[in-house]
Amino acid sequence: MDSSTAKPYQVNRFLPYWAVFQADLHETLHSWVYRVWVLLSVLAALGCLLYRFGAYRMAGVLPAAPELMSDLLRWTVLGSVTLIIILTGGSISSERGTMADSVLSRGISRHQYFLGKWHARLAAILGTFFVLGALVVLACFMMLHDQSVSVHGSLAALGTVAALLTIVITAGVTISAISNSTVLGIAVLWLVLYGVGFLLSLLPADYPSPDRALRTLPNMLRGLYDGPTVLRLIVGSVFTAVLIAGIGLFSFSRRDV
Amino acid sequence: MAENPSDLVVETYKLTKIYQNRQIALNDVTLRIEPGRVLGLLGPNGAGKTTLLRLVLGLHRPTAGWVKVFGQIMTPNTAALRCRIGYIPTNPQFPSGMTPISYLDHIARLFGLPGDVRKPRLASLIRAVDLLNVSGDRISGFSNGMTARLAVATSLINEPDLLIWDEPTHGLDPNARRGMLELIKTLSERKTLIVCSHNLSDIDEVCDYAAVLSRGHLIYCGPLRDLKGRMRCTHYVLELDGDPKALTKAVQTIKGIAELKSVQADQHRLEVVLGEEANNSGVLANVFMTLSDNKLTLLHIRSVGQQTEQAFLDLVEKEESRGFARAYKQPDPKREAA
Repeated sequence: MDSSTAKPYQVNRFLPYWAVFQADLHETLHSWVYRVWVLLSVLAALGCLLYRFGAYRMAGVLPAAPELMSDLLRWTVLGSVTLIIILTGGSISSERGTMADSVLSRGISRHQYFLGKWHARLAAILGTFFVLGALVVLACFMMLHDQSVSVHGSLAALGTVAALLTIVITAGVTISAISNSTVLGIAVLWLVLYGVGFLLSLLPADYPSPDRALRTLPNMLRGLYDGPTVLRLIVGSVFTAVLIAGIGLFSFSRRDV
Repeated sequence: MAENPSDLVVETYKLTKIYQNRQIALNDVTLRIEPGRVLGLLGPNGAGKTTLLRLVLGLHRPTAGWVKVFGQIMTPNTAALRCRIGYIPTNPQFPSGMTPISYLDHIARLFGLPGDVRKPRLASLIRAVDLLNVSGDRISGFSNGMTARLAVATSLINEPDLLIWDEPTHGLDPNARRGMLELIKTLSERKTLIVCSHNLSDIDEVCDYAAVLSRGHLIYCGPLRDLKGRMRCTHYVLELDGDPKALTKAVQTIKGIAELKSVQADQHRLEVVLGEEANNSGVLANVFMTLSDNKLTLLHIRSVGQQTEQAFLDLVEKEESRGFARAYKQPDPKREAA
């Protein structure tokens, strides 16, 4: 019987995770939601920069680069959160049924599948955000010639926004793993994220909130920021994301697909 | 017969699946599948066949009871057990943008096969399922037959010991269906197979064991031969050649055979239905003798209705008529022993 014969090769336990990661990254980068998000972000950034550049050339109004850049970064978080929710909210639930069967019936565990999906969405969205953010920073340096923008501050600002996006992406993938319906999952996630963001903004100033973090961006871009506070925010966001992912992982590994 | 329970390929014990406290999909199913068997899983729509397969694969978690595959409990995270299973779902779906090569490579990586193993293997399989000339084409343009062949290659990429094929002949033309059945026969020499099908003639042809589910309940599990033996054939159609007058005369004589319930003749076709208690070999011997006496040539004889199908329908009908009683049945010692 074949079952008694040992396989003449070593199974690579990392390969199933990597296969899901690569396939999902490819799928995300080719999805219309991703393309719409990138297109809107690029168009918004271009429009904003051209408007400010035109105002400077025609009327001599010199826009402050940190304000302009923080506007663009805030747009990325607040404006495109809905698209990011759609992009992540269906990552697992939309495949439930035959497509998930064809993957999960193979030699892959639920943990590997969830982690592959989560990391692929993080890589796609954060990678794109860093590329777009770097281009915005570069364009601001080149077009606005504002010496008040600090390179370190720009990196800290990008890191802060990326940390907030990490929570959104993780919550999206987790909801997608828990929910049977993609539409319902997206609706719930949208309400929860905006609701929690709003509630946090009502808390005293000592408490961290996305709104307050985004309001500090202009100063942060000037290099006027408290390093440990930013680090705490980033670490706190990553910790929250890992906690949310843990809930998703635990729930998904006990669900029927 | 496997003496040690760990030798069993699949073992379920009091397996029950209830979906969201609303639907009982499977109820108290105890099943043992030994190595080398080809088990046909039968049952009407909604009987719980696919649920049982999904539980065996770890895609679903049992509400009660357990599933063991190769002696170990199957859970959603026991990936190592699934590495020994090849699965074809009903109507397999493929990512439309992929080619057979890229898809098989993706699936092989899901099994953790290193490159130097998976590349030659996928090439051999593509050749074996005759997709070599379309190996670089997108799967979205494939016919049903081609996707079925690709699904077969997918289920074999990890060289599994257990194959679980859900409706493998669904939507195939006669040629493709014939090829699929021949493949099952070939694979059954080396592997354990669970074949789920609505087409009972397919099960009849390739399986040696059968399990019949009805409304989530296992109502039969044993040799297919025994299942067929439960339904004695009583209805035969004979195609004859010879003088029409001789045929008329023969029919008159045959009508005189007491154990025949009805005899109908239409040109060169004779249809006989035996009584419930009749000895069919004895009655048919009389019929043949009469035909021979009248110098009629027998061109063809066939029994009406597939035996397996009738046995299956009979079983399901009996089970459904038992209604309330089945919940309080005594354990069947024969089934327990098997």
